[in-house]
Amino acid sequence: MDHLYLFATLAGTRIAVDTREVEAVVKLAEISPVPGMGAHVAGLSALRSRVLTIIDAAALIHGKPLPPESRSLAIIADISGHSYGLMVDSVSDICRVNDGELPLRGQLDPAWAPYARGIVEYEGQPCLLVSLATFIEGGIIAQAA
Amino acid sequence: MDELLQEFISETQETLEALAGEVVAWEADPSDRDRLDAIFRFFHTVKGSCGFLNLPRFERLSHAAEDVLSDIRAGKRSPDPATVNAVLGIMDRIGELAEAVAVGAALPNENDDFLISALTEPSGDVIVAPLAEETAPVAMSRQSAQTGPRTIRLPLSLIDQLMNGVSDMVLARNELSRKLRERSADPELDNVFERLSTCVADMRDVISKTRMQRVDRLFAAIPRMVRDLGRELGKRIDLTLEGGDVEMDREMVEMVVDPLTHIVRNSIDHGIEMPEKRRALGKPEAGRLRVEARQSGNQIVIAISDDGAGIDTNRLVEKAVAAGRFTPEGAARMTEQEKLDLVFHAGLSTAAKVTAISGRGVGMDVVRANVERIGGVIALDNHPGQGLCITLRVPLTLTIIPGLIVRAGGQHFAIPRAAVVEILHDNNDTLHIADVGGAKIATIRSVRHSMIDLEDVLGMEKPAQTGPRAIMVVRSASGVPFAMGVSAVDNHEELVIRPASPLVMASGVYAGMTLPDNGRPMLLLDAAGLANAADLPNIVDDRAAQRRDEEADAASNVEMIAALRFEELSGERRLLKLSLIERVEDIETPLFGRSAGRAFVRLDGRLIPVANGISTFDGDRVSALRLRDGTREVCYPVAAVLDIVQMPVMPDMVAMHGIISGVSVIEGEHLEVVNPFALFAALPEETVIEKARGRCLLADSQDGWTREILAPLLRQAGHDVVLGLPADGVVDPQDVVLSLGEDVAQAAEMMGCRVVQLRATPRSSGPQDASIYRYDQDRLMAALSGMKG
Repeated sequence: MDHLYLFATLAGTRIAVDTREVEAVVKLAEISPVPGMGAHVAGLSALRSRVLTIIDAAALIHGKPLPPESRSLAIIADISGHSYGLMVDSVSDICRVNDGELPLRGQLDPAWAPYARGIVEYEGQPCLLVSLATFIEGGIIAQAA
Repeated sequence: MDELLQEFISETQETLEALAGEVVAWEADPSDRDRLDAIFRFFHTVKGSCGFLNLPRFERLSHAAEDVLSDIRAGKRSPDPATVNAVLGIMDRIGELAEAVAVGAALPNENDDFLISALTEPSGDVIVAPLAEETAPVAMSRQSAQTGPRTIRLPLSLIDQLMNGVSDMVLARNELSRKLRERSADPELDNVFERLSTCVADMRDVISKTRMQRVDRLFAAIPRMVRDLGRELGKRIDLTLEGGDVEMDREMVEMVVDPLTHIVRNSIDHGIEMPEKRRALGKPEAGRLRVEARQSGNQIVIAISDDGAGIDTNRLVEKAVAAGRFTPEGAARMTEQEKLDLVFHAGLSTAAKVTAISGRGVGMDVVRANVERIGGVIALDNHPGQGLCITLRVPLTLTIIPGLIVRAGGQHFAIPRAAVVEILHDNNDTLHIADVGGAKIATIRSVRHSMIDLEDVLGMEKPAQTGPRAIMVVRSASGVPFAMGVSAVDNHEELVIRPASPLVMASGVYAGMTLPDNGRPMLLLDAAGLANAADLPNIVDDRAAQRRDEEADAASNVEMIAALRFEELSGERRLLKLSLIERVEDIETPLFGRSAGRAFVRLDGRLIPVANGISTFDGDRVSALRLRDGTREVCYPVAAVLDIVQMPVMPDMVAMHGIISGVSVIEGEHLEVVNPFALFAALPEETVIEKARGRCLLADSQDGWTREILAPLLRQAGHDVVLGLPADGVVDPQDVVLSLGEDVAQAAEMMGCRVVQLRATPRSSGPQDASIYRYDQDRLMAALSGMKG
């Protein structure tokens, strides 16, 4: 278990993402909103000639969209042929973790339950290991509901 | 799967596809050795390859077919229909097996013995094909595709990756160019950048070509299908395929296959009559079916025409009435076109009985829906008893569609132009918007539409606005037109559409997205989705009522006149009032010339001015409009004559500029309207003479100067010249007599026509002398025109 993990803060929680899922982390330019969608779809943004669908994960978890001034960083991922950007509060590091993925312990907030896969420790602090694809799926389920 | 096996399978499938047409062509002309060889080679290759791939069934089948074909090659057998059928059967089985191997499914379990025995069974009477006979002209005259260019197979994803890479490159170049402009000019750097720019542009062109595919692929399956259907139904069909080298987007090809197949089937099943019936009707026994593809602007036009029975509109109406769609009175008020449109209604078919091929009434409605989904248009040209021509117009690529940019809630959206029927401002007199119980109803020229505001459907704020809002009448592929209010319609553009992420598509109101030059992604609206999202009732305003009301309102409606839509040599599309156009003809370009800075064209022995002053053209013929204002004539060369449309008498936007009087929107396209007044006013004055009527009688027909100098001059100026006075003395009062001698002049005056007397000396003999010096061209011409008034 010698994967690279990306460590970031999302909705006030430390998270880790397997770097195999991550294409890049970019500073977002302008976001054009997509009206008629739930708050978790922040809008579309152009990255060179690609168009990203920007996901506001904070809205999925807390039901509160990210204030516009803090919409700056996004983790870019290619999920089933489409490009998505997952907005995060901040990104701290990319590094190898010796222990790798640890099982979840304690009682997880139900809001996080669909997305958390396990725990990864970074500088002695536990981080929730999340899978980006679950946020997209979660978004579709949220729409259906 | 083994790579070798995979390659074998895809190669086999590809060859099969290409061969389907060849077999039919070979049957039509058994003496065609090239085609026979091609088919033989196919079986031979299959047999050879499956030997070491261990595919015994393939081997057995191909071996049997190869044997028979080799007999035919050796002249021991003739390719009679039974044999061809059997060969086709084997090809189909090989196709099935290949398909099964490709997807890794279990091989179909049918017994191959039956097929093989059908092949080897000696057919009843063996007739040796008359090989000596010259190759007769056959309907299927396509070039054998064996000498194609070398190709390789590439995964589509690689090409898409390339496309993306090039798009990124273009964006990077644009940014670089911006940065370069900010700096001080450095010619050397500019030069290099220029070169880079050209390379990038070339590259983009080439890459976009990789997505293109010849329409041939679309046509490949048709000959086989036509043959099989014809055989099954006992009909004889003469098939012509044209325009196979036209290229279109590969995705588009996939999308058009089904509608095209359906139309061809319909045409054979219902259109073309049985041979006996055709003979009784005085038509050739073999029905003619013609499938033709051509490129027209950024559209591909596929026309499928037959000389069969056409559509019996009365039967359609009967069926529709029987099905309770219309009252008989309502049906009686329908126009022929509306009746014809019933073909596209679900569940209606003119077929008396349902056949295995078509006639189940699930058909044309699906065809239309499919064609419209890809931004295409389907049109019918029906000649009952004579035949039917169905025209499909589809965009060149799936990814580029003409769209309108609309603004709503402070944001821009795109909507496919094909979905928009008309655009009005809400202060228009013909529009009335009412609000009842929360539902909005827009009444446009007495037709009631459900109305929605785009902002409401999408849950956006409606910002306050000063100008009028735009109301668009939107028609989705299947649903009923509805009115949609937006802040404004901003622009009309060709949009490169790309799919939106499933998350966005799930909302149901978007069909895709596009990235305009400003770098802000824009969403493409889905008309049907919007109607669904707003829960609009799917009821058409009663058509009969609409007709009545329309008639009542006809007087207050915008007066429409017929206009010709054409493309200028410079590429713009313009409109010109149809009544001015005498005719349209192709003129040989050498007839055009230039004199004294003005362009003219020599037609019917006269010089006619050219309206737009162009006298040099590419190619040896050019289309030209011949216009006439009653007396004067002018020739207007154009790039292409497009079609005849109805345009409002007053342009939608009046903007006098040069020969343009304004802009009208026809079918969503902004077209400049040519101002005929300005057009004729701009003509050189001399043409007044050229247009004059009446003959010039040259009295001194024996005089050398008159014959050799005066007569050609007058002819060139457009006059009708007669040498000598008419023998019978009959002159028209409009005729003019030109003479050098006084006595003739007096005689002519007595005959009752006007006279121009010419003199040889520059100086006049006295104040009474009305004669004109014979080299004073200006006065001479003025005298002629003045006299004829």
